[in-house]
Amino acid sequence: MRLRTTREQRILYIKTALRWLIYYILIFLSFIIMTSGTWLKPILLVPIALAIAVNNNQYGSVVTGAICGFMIDISCGKLFGYNAVLLAFFCIVVSLLFELYLKYKFINFMLITAGVSYIQCRLDYKFYYEIWNYENVERIFTQFTLKIWVYTIISSVFIYLLIKLINHFLMPKNHLTIEEAIVTKTQQN
Amino acid sequence: MREFFKSTRFKILLAFLAFLLGIMIYAVTKGGYSVSGASFINTITKPFRAVSNGISMKMEHNLDKISNADEYYEENQRLKAQISKLNKQLTEYDALKEEVEELRKFVKIKEEHEDYILSVPCDVMGYVTNDPFKSFTIDKGSDDGILPNCPVVTAEGLVGITVEVSEHVSTVRTILSPDLSIAAVCSSSSADQGIIEGTVLTAENGNTKLIHLSTENKLKNGDLMITAGTSGLFPKDYQIGTVKSVEYDTSGLSMCAEIVPCVDITRLTSVTVITDFSGKKEDSE
Repeated sequence: MRLRTTREQRILYIKTALRWLIYYILIFLSFIIMTSGTWLKPILLVPIALAIAVNNNQYGSVVTGAICGFMIDISCGKLFGYNAVLLAFFCIVVSLLFELYLKYKFINFMLITAGVSYIQCRLDYKFYYEIWNYENVERIFTQFTLKIWVYTIISSVFIYLLIKLINHFLMPKNHLTIEEAIVTKTQQN
Repeated sequence: MREFFKSTRFKILLAFLAFLLGIMIYAVTKGGYSVSGASFINTITKPFRAVSNGISMKMEHNLDKISNADEYYEENQRLKAQISKLNKQLTEYDALKEEVEELRKFVKIKEEHEDYILSVPCDVMGYVTNDPFKSFTIDKGSDDGILPNCPVVTAEGLVGITVEVSEHVSTVRTILSPDLSIAAVCSSSSADQGIIEGTVLTAENGNTKLIHLSTENKLKNGDLMITAGTSGLFPKDYQIGTVKSVEYDTSGLSMCAEIVPCVDITRLTSVTVITDFSGKKEDSE
């Protein structure tokens, strides 16, 4: 990306700051929703962290992943840092995957989210219930874990659209000078 | 004048007046009922009078509104302010009423168990997300004298135990959880003892389980289970729940019972933490 004027630079900074601010407002709202009521709820912070990681560099992704993970730990009453480690790792992987191999498309995002949230739910079930060998523990998997996973996948559709909307207005676009465009075109030919 | 008195016109008028006087006297004798003529007139004119009166009232009302608009506007404003004030007072009243009810429960626990040191009433901030055993967080923590492993109760019965305490927030593990075991005894027969421990199945219905019951127990539906107080973790004789059903456990060597907690664990709004009681086991012990 080439910035030609200080005005363009300033707009870029403002847009970037605003974008991250909205991301974090979204994260905060999701946390509030997750901690309210007694019904089963999707783990909203997983698709949000992944949707942010898909569009941003690894540094932003890992920090966001960790923060979302900490919030999941608080709301779900898990060991503080357990989900943070998990999500930070997945955010780096997802960020790299989309940077190097995958295109930012709905189906790719959904597949990644389904995979990551399944791993997150399965590990949660494994470490918090199955490992303790409670009587009829498999019911927790069918009655809780799977339902939460499905809810998370459904919620990720809306989160994808929301993050896409935010990015549409606030994500800086690549600008090329005419000379750069000609050079790129020539190289492609 | 003399001519008038002598004229027929005068006689007719006089006769008419006498007639009217006669009617009047007749009306007096009717004892409150209308004479038939008046009644007839009333019946005939009633619908017209009603319509006329309606129109008249409407007009008067409209004219009154126009002429007294300023006065009504002021009155409206005054009444609005008064309603707003009363609504505010009502809200305060409701909050106070709720608080008084909470404090009344708090006092009831204190009256029944004088040895208890209780925390201030704690509001339930929320249930732990997607927890099958309904753990929840309360708005009081170590700053309010709450420690880990303190019993959490309501006036109705035992709720659980504090497991994670920060300065202003604590997490409570409920009696629905398989990770919490409480020695329990039947209030009517001290021979019927067991361990209250939640299971996945019973937690689905908001109930818990009494395990390790003797096969010779005499428990029946509706029997109240109370804390035995042997562990030093929970105070003695605090109600836990009532027996719903008794059956043999999977091994067949002992029996178990489904227990309906005295407190609806799934719908808690406030609880109290017992920070100290006689017979409490100290951490160092």
